[in-house]
Amino acid sequence: MDQLILASEECDVVNEVICAPADVKELFEFTDVIFSIGPLGFTRTIILFFLAAFVVVGLLYFGLRKRRMVPSKFGVVIESLLDFVKNGIAKDIIGPEGARYVPYLTAIFLFILVGNLFEVTPLINFPITSRMAIPAFLAIVTYVIFVFIGFGKNKFRYLADTVWPKHVPIGLRWLVGLIELVSIFLLRPFTLAVRLFANMVAGHLMLTLLLGSGVIFLSAFPEIGLKALVGIPWFALGLGIYLFEIVVSVLQAYIFTLLSAVYIQSSVHFEH
Amino acid sequence: MEGNIEVLKGAIALIGYGLAAVGPGVGIGIVVGNAITAMARQPEMAGTIRTTMFLGIAFTEALALIGFVLFFIA
Repeated sequence: MDQLILASEECDVVNEVICAPADVKELFEFTDVIFSIGPLGFTRTIILFFLAAFVVVGLLYFGLRKRRMVPSKFGVVIESLLDFVKNGIAKDIIGPEGARYVPYLTAIFLFILVGNLFEVTPLINFPITSRMAIPAFLAIVTYVIFVFIGFGKNKFRYLADTVWPKHVPIGLRWLVGLIELVSIFLLRPFTLAVRLFANMVAGHLMLTLLLGSGVIFLSAFPEIGLKALVGIPWFALGLGIYLFEIVVSVLQAYIFTLLSAVYIQSSVHFEH
Repeated sequence: MEGNIEVLKGAIALIGYGLAAVGPGVGIGIVVGNAITAMARQPEMAGTIRTTMFLGIAFTEALALIGFVLFFIA
């Protein structure tokens, strides 16, 4: 909780109107090793990372443990989630071949969903996807998968047709080829990672600023008197954004999975 | 003197990010607006249109995201 309120010590409640963190560099670094096993240091992010993985495994295990004709209520929720990824994303976007990629898409969807929802889980309040390493790693996995499929299914034609597209008028081919090359091999993984990261950072920062400022100002009531009331609108706005962040968390998990499926599809059906 | 330059750099980076957000903002507006029109005309296609809309948003958003990263790097 002491990390939630970033600026609690530095915040000058007499002069400031809202408490801002002193340094945003923290967002890109793993700080404060809690305990370490050999050379591996466990920070709060890493612990939550493993917690998210266990939550996903637990959800799938307990949701699908008994396959009955009429599943339990919890089982229905898990089954409809899996059905959503299988039919709503994999089959819809990739087509009949999509069945091969359902396990991967399900894994990243559930992991990112749980990781994002940590942002609005009371007492955790920290989305693990707001540390650059985790979305970057997930994006690299997707990148490796779609590049390998592209080269595996189309051999060298994958690269040749990208830089020299046959369906484009000859005068524009080099330009379109250049744009496609940069877009497929550089911008795709980059934007995939940064989109998730930026959305979660923005949400986490907004919640921290508003709720943190609200708490700090209201708790400083004895010292600063009536000025403490400025904490009430901050706190109310924070609660409104709290609801909005639940939507953003689910939507970003969906968009990450959807775009992974689209990139895989563009390698599977390369002609289009 | 040093401190002033640091403050100025931060301010210029902020302005740059603001400018970078204008284009994608307009673009996402166009994408979503047209998607809503399409859904209103053909409600039975709403599912497909929604998926395509998210894709369009995702590609348009890329420019704003690059601006966001450059803001931190600057």
